[in-house]
Amino acid sequence: MTFSDDTLMAYADGELDPAERAAIEQAMRTDPAIAAAVARHRALRADVAAAFGGILDEPVPARLQPVPSTAPASVLSLEAARAKRKRWSWPEWGALAATLVVGVLVGKTVAGGAAPAIAGNGGQVVAQGALASALDRQVGGGKADDAVKVGVSFAARDGQYCRGFVMGTSAGLACRAGGQWRIPVLAEVAPEATGGYRQAGSALPAAVLDAIDERIAGKPLDAAGEEAARARGWR
Amino acid sequence: MLADEIAALLPRMRRFARALTYHREDADDVVQIAMERALGRSEQWEPGTRLDSWLFRIIKNAWIDEVRSRSRRAELFAPEEEGEHVGDDTAQAHQQRLAIQKAISLLSEEHRLVVGLVLVDGLPYKEAADVLEIPVGTLTSRLARARDALQQLLADPTRRTP
Repeated sequence: MTFSDDTLMAYADGELDPAERAAIEQAMRTDPAIAAAVARHRALRADVAAAFGGILDEPVPARLQPVPSTAPASVLSLEAARAKRKRWSWPEWGALAATLVVGVLVGKTVAGGAAPAIAGNGGQVVAQGALASALDRQVGGGKADDAVKVGVSFAARDGQYCRGFVMGTSAGLACRAGGQWRIPVLAEVAPEATGGYRQAGSALPAAVLDAIDERIAGKPLDAAGEEAARARGWR
Repeated sequence: MLADEIAALLPRMRRFARALTYHREDADDVVQIAMERALGRSEQWEPGTRLDSWLFRIIKNAWIDEVRSRSRRAELFAPEEEGEHVGDDTAQAHQQRLAIQKAISLLSEEHRLVVGLVLVDGLPYKEAADVLEIPVGTLTSRLARARDALQQLLADPTRRTP
């Protein structure tokens, strides 16, 4: 029985089914030429594998590793929140929509303080008091114990600056217009997001993230970008 | 995380790239380009299919698109390459490994791809054919020709130097 060299090669590479293997092994016992051809294919395979085997043990250069982003935490968490949001099912979306409370919180106070943080003003909802002051001043995500945490900041398509914030159990988006922080969207933060670990970006409810997605031009500001925008009075 | 699974395959990606392009820096350039592409389009990987095959296909395309044009063939046998891998193994074994790496670098691009996938990485024919997007029969005959060419290069030292 004769076999093509391709078949002997496939045998040496372990690619044949049991019946073909048995036939070749039978032939190898009786035909030294077939046995030699198989040995030659096996030797080449082993030699080539050995020639490159050491590369697996080399340390992988750092430049090839997936890059951990050096962006500010608020940016990272915004992206993480978006990615997570994309996996949610429709019923969860419905539940989130039900938490939307835009406009209902006019007159809400911050952490029991006396001054209202939000006021109705000629049909617009605007920030005031501690919220307005945090939006004016806070950069780099604020401190853990801040009553208001300002997370992501960005330039909107219409040229305004907008900033996402979390205040107690509410989160919203504020955009600078006419010397005020107007609040186009405000939503309740989901209960689990108000637990021990919370970042301004990750705590933003879907309604707020959607409002950011609708408006954002380019990427969120980094810490230097926030500093520069603050220095210009967010204009 | 997919990025972690991709990172775990980096040693095999580097080894495959070294079969395609002898020079270590060129090979790592190919892997770096492939990593950027893979992470940038990770949504194109279909869960349930082999991640290694998908990455090898990206490496193959990265090599063809980006690096082939600027391959440092002229530096292939630069003196500093010769002593790079000397460890505590025998000089003879070391010389043989170098000879095989050099011989593979002299194969045609088509042959380097099949040798890199089947002989260097050890992929089954079907997976290697998937990476190259060719039928298994085409892969088998191409591999047989590549082996013949490689045997000849190794048997005839005068052909090893271009």
